[in-house]
This record gives sequence, structure tokens and C-alpha cells, in this order.
Amino acid sequence: MAVGNWVLLAYRLPREPSTPRIALWRALRRLGAAQLLDGLVALPADNRTREQLEWLAETVLEAGGEATVWIAKPGSAGQERAIAERMQADVNAEYRALIEQADRARDTPVGARKRTLSRLRRELRRVRRRDYFPARDRGLATRAVDALADSIEQVPA
Amino acid sequence: MKWATRSAPHVDRTACAWLIARFIDPDARFVLVDDADEVPADATAFDMRGAELSHHDGDCSFETFLRRYDLDDPALWAIARIVHNADLDDERYDAPEAPGLDVLMRGLSMVRDDADVLTLSAPMYDGLYEYLKRAALLGREPA
Repeated sequence: MAVGNWVLLAYRLPREPSTPRIALWRALRRLGAAQLLDGLVALPADNRTREQLEWLAETVLEAGGEATVWIAKPGSAGQERAIAERMQADVNAEYRALIEQADRARDTPVGARKRTLSRLRRELRRVRRRDYFPARDRGLATRAVDALADSIEQVPA
Repeated sequence: MKWATRSAPHVDRTACAWLIARFIDPDARFVLVDDADEVPADATAFDMRGAELSHHDGDCSFETFLRRYDLDDPALWAIARIVHNADLDDERYDAPEAPGLDVLMRGLSMVRDDADVLTLSAPMYDGLYEYLKRAALLGREPA
């Protein structure tokens, strides 16, 4: 298997203040970046991921830190697979949590179900955005949320 | 005046180019480059690393433009919220239009070259601006 291009962000932020650290951590989590080492994260390279990490590099610099962005190839297919599998497992755990919440919501009153549905749809969209190596339960999670929507439709108005 | 930004423009850069042409510089000409080093000396760079007119303090480039040029039109700020959410995907604002606009711009850039994308997206932003302006005047969704 041929390895693909990855975009890496190498960074160092001052320990204090903590606000930029937390903002960076949140942004990396939202992107689903793989933490390779302390201060080194990776994402499969495409226009969007590259641009997002470049902006994060800017915010690190603005916060008085150091940051560089790299395009790199993993040294071996096995190494790439290990990172991809870890990212997949993280995303899959998020799908599992969504499925559980969707299933549980089906036993709640219709008003609560509607609120849960819109929350879960937003969450599903977020998770799918960071699902770079389609995780196993992606389809199941989508169907669980759709089933919750169907269960609302079936209630007479 | 000459303006430069990165090639493959999506939502933030197309919106900025529209804003420049309509509200800042009617004679604007755009140069799209692959690397910051290729920005012509006589061009003003935007939405690129190191450029002044770029992401700042959590704002997307479109928001930076509105601040730098003191554009306080509420309809432009409504567009800014949509562009922000589409570009940064951080859900800072309630802007349900954002994912749709993002997909439209990404799709457009798959089938047309950079110059065409800027040409074709401009009337879409004209329409978005008109819609949001009417919405603000009416206080409800315009028909």
C-alpha cells in the first residue's frame, strides 16, 4: 500500500497564559488531528486540513509561540496504518456514543426526542468531518440518528 | 489595485474577493498564487499566512476586512457570520447557511478554474447580501 501525504504542525506554546493552549487543543480536537508527540500533530493532507493547520500555526505565533507546518510522507505503510487506525478508533468511539444516545432517546417523549435529534445531527456532522478513514460504525451511527427522526415522524401530530 | 490570495479559493477567499470588488476597490484585479513568495510586489495579499488582511484573533479574513475598512453594514456582518462558520467550522455563530455555502464553493472549485470561481461566486454573494439586507429590513425571512 502506498503511503499518502500528511500535513504536520510542529508547535510550542508558552505554558502561560493557558487560554491559547486550550483554544488550540479544542481546534485540534475538532479537526481530529493525531497527536504524534507533545507539540506535533498530523492530519491527512488536503486543501482544507493544510489550510486549517496553517491558520492554527498563525494563532500559535500570535500567542508568542513557535510553529511550523510540514507536508510529509510516513516512512512506512505500517506506520501510516497505525496512526490511521488510532484515528479511526477515536472516531468510532464517538459514533458508538451517538448510537447509544440515539437509541436511548427513542424511549423519551416526542418533544425531548426532537431536541435530542437536532443535537445528535449536529454532533454527527461534526464527527463525520473528522472521519478521514471512514470508521466502521459511520453507517450505523447515521442510521441510528435517522431512525430517531423516523420515530418522531410516526407520532400523530 | 492588485490583490493576491492563495489559489483554490473557497468560501472565505471568494467572499473576500467579492467584498473587495463591491465595497473597497471597484477596479480590483486578483492574482491567485500557490505560495506566499509568489505574491507580486505591487499586490495586497489577503487570506494568506503572514498577510495583514487574514485570520486574526479568531476572526476569519472576511471579518478582518470588515474591521479594517470600518464596514458596519449589518448585512455584511450577517454574511461574515456565515463565512466564519463555514471557514472555521467552530460553530461560533448560529449560521445554518454555512454548511450549504461551504459545499457550494468547494464544489464550484472542483469544476471551474480560480478565475471562473471568483466570477461565478460574485453574483451569489450579491444575492446573499440582498437577501440578508431585506431580512434585516423586514425583520423576517424575505419571500
